[in-house]
Amino acid sequence: MPSLLELQRQMQAQLWRPAGLDGVDGVDGLDGLHGARASLAPGASLELALRIGIYRNTCIGTLVNALRLSFPAVRRLVGADFFEAAARSFIEQSVPRSAYLDEYGADFPAFLAAFPPAATLVYLSDVAQLEWAVSRVLHADDAAGVSLAQLSALGEAAWPAMSFVPHPALSLLQSQHPADLIWRAVLEQDEAAMASIDPAPGTVYLLIERDTSGLAVRRLAAAAWHFTSALCAGRPLYAALGDVPDEQNHAILAEHLARGRFIQFRLNDPPSAACEAPHSPERPAAHSPGRSPEHLPGDAPL
Amino acid sequence: MSPAGTARGEDSLIPAAAGIGLRFAHHAEVVETRPAVAWFEVHAENYFGGGSVRRYLHAVRRDYPLSLHGVGLSLGSAEPLDCRHLSRLAELVRAVEPGLISEHLSWSVVGGQYLGDLLPLPLTQEALAVVCRHVDQTQALLKRRILVENPSTYLQFGHSTIPEWEFMAAVAARTGCGILCDVNNIFVSASNHGWDPIVYLDGLPRQAVAEIHLAGHALVTLDNGSVLRIDNHGSPVAREVWALYEEALRRFGAQPTLIEWDTDIAPLAVLLAEAARAAACLERVRETAHAFAA
Repeated sequence: MPSLLELQRQMQAQLWRPAGLDGVDGVDGLDGLHGARASLAPGASLELALRIGIYRNTCIGTLVNALRLSFPAVRRLVGADFFEAAARSFIEQSVPRSAYLDEYGADFPAFLAAFPPAATLVYLSDVAQLEWAVSRVLHADDAAGVSLAQLSALGEAAWPAMSFVPHPALSLLQSQHPADLIWRAVLEQDEAAMASIDPAPGTVYLLIERDTSGLAVRRLAAAAWHFTSALCAGRPLYAALGDVPDEQNHAILAEHLARGRFIQFRLNDPPSAACEAPHSPERPAAHSPGRSPEHLPGDAPL
Repeated sequence: MSPAGTARGEDSLIPAAAGIGLRFAHHAEVVETRPAVAWFEVHAENYFGGGSVRRYLHAVRRDYPLSLHGVGLSLGSAEPLDCRHLSRLAELVRAVEPGLISEHLSWSVVGGQYLGDLLPLPLTQEALAVVCRHVDQTQALLKRRILVENPSTYLQFGHSTIPEWEFMAAVAARTGCGILCDVNNIFVSASNHGWDPIVYLDGLPRQAVAEIHLAGHALVTLDNGSVLRIDNHGSPVAREVWALYEEALRRFGAQPTLIEWDTDIAPLAVLLAEAARAAACLERVRETAHAFAA
């Protein structure tokens, strides 16, 4: 008699056998399910295989459906049948670790990039990557953004060493194809727009976030994107400015703050110090707010 | 072990009335039209994230009592429960204060892999101990009683030693959990395995039953000619299941009754009609009880 764990492992093997994903293999494939097969009350081995097939269909169907929901543009680009076949192939090699299926599919874009039948659709993986970022943004937690007023209260001396925590519903993506244009045209079923897209490779820099209309996918200039990336990675402001010197940076930071894209800030030690200072938003201002130094937002237009 | 008391206030209690399983397709309509239904139930895992989906849930919760029904906790897993899943469930419970929380007598996780279905348990002393341990752990973390739902199954194990209804009763007795009596699942499993559904109902402890599920099922013919009933939640409640529901009410009294419809989702009006039929059954049970009491 198998232990519960042995039985569950055997069932897993039966449900997840690559050769078995397309249907019932018959009796031979069930040798692994020793306990259940040997002790199954009425019914032949074929009956067992068919009944396991019911569970297999539901398991596969649940996961294919999760991928359908997360990658609707990809599905439209390749068609329902191709998508189902690609999804089934993906499921064989990438199993969900959790029942929260909105988290399932992070590796699907990389899978598509290496999936030979999709090789001619060179932009497909990039579109999938964008869709995954969209999905994560849509399902991320809500959070309140830090305001310019909160930061101004700390005084200009604190600014260079400040670092930020990005809103959970904010995502940055580089794409080697115009994935945003393709994504939008496909979902809006805009054939004219689709036809006018130049699919030639060239990097686009995208920012994905929730806004009042639901979801926004915006293009940024390369410098703006790299500066924003550095800030979202927690680089102190002086370091991000040093990484990506650009005269637009102060305006970019002002816009990020106005749109609530950062939810927390930390005060690090200035460049010359050895360790990081603890964060304290209530620390009194070292200088009164007033003159805005060159690289810091003051009353910059939103 | 008996867990602490249940609902935190009158508003959050689930009434012994008819409710509807709330699916995403009906979010907007429910929030905008506020239909006359007594309560809603949602799948917990659908709301583990944030964003508009969670906001809809809060909007519904403002106007209706809410029940959380989990499908992924995997109470029957031989391995330990997924702590992250438990803490997500706990966070959702704190956020919406549901009147009822339920899960399934089944398993779906092994070796860190979520298999995507409610899989059948062998009904053994070992499985009983595992399920009770996990129910205890869940109730301790949530500081709430949970309900355990009887499953629909397409497979039995010859080395099972405990009839499913006795297994359910034992879990309730040992852990203090409640029972979510899915009448459609009883009908489906009894048909598939040759049980008597009345024996099943008679085997459930009356005082533990705290919710009833009704749903549709399908008849499926396998390649070898066998006919099975499949619990697909994609059609109206079958005539025989309504009849079994009346038998359940006779035994358990009026209970919160949920209409489930998860696939080929029908318009809200259709679900409301099913709920109205359940409400009529509940009313007849209450009238009978009053008649006896008079």
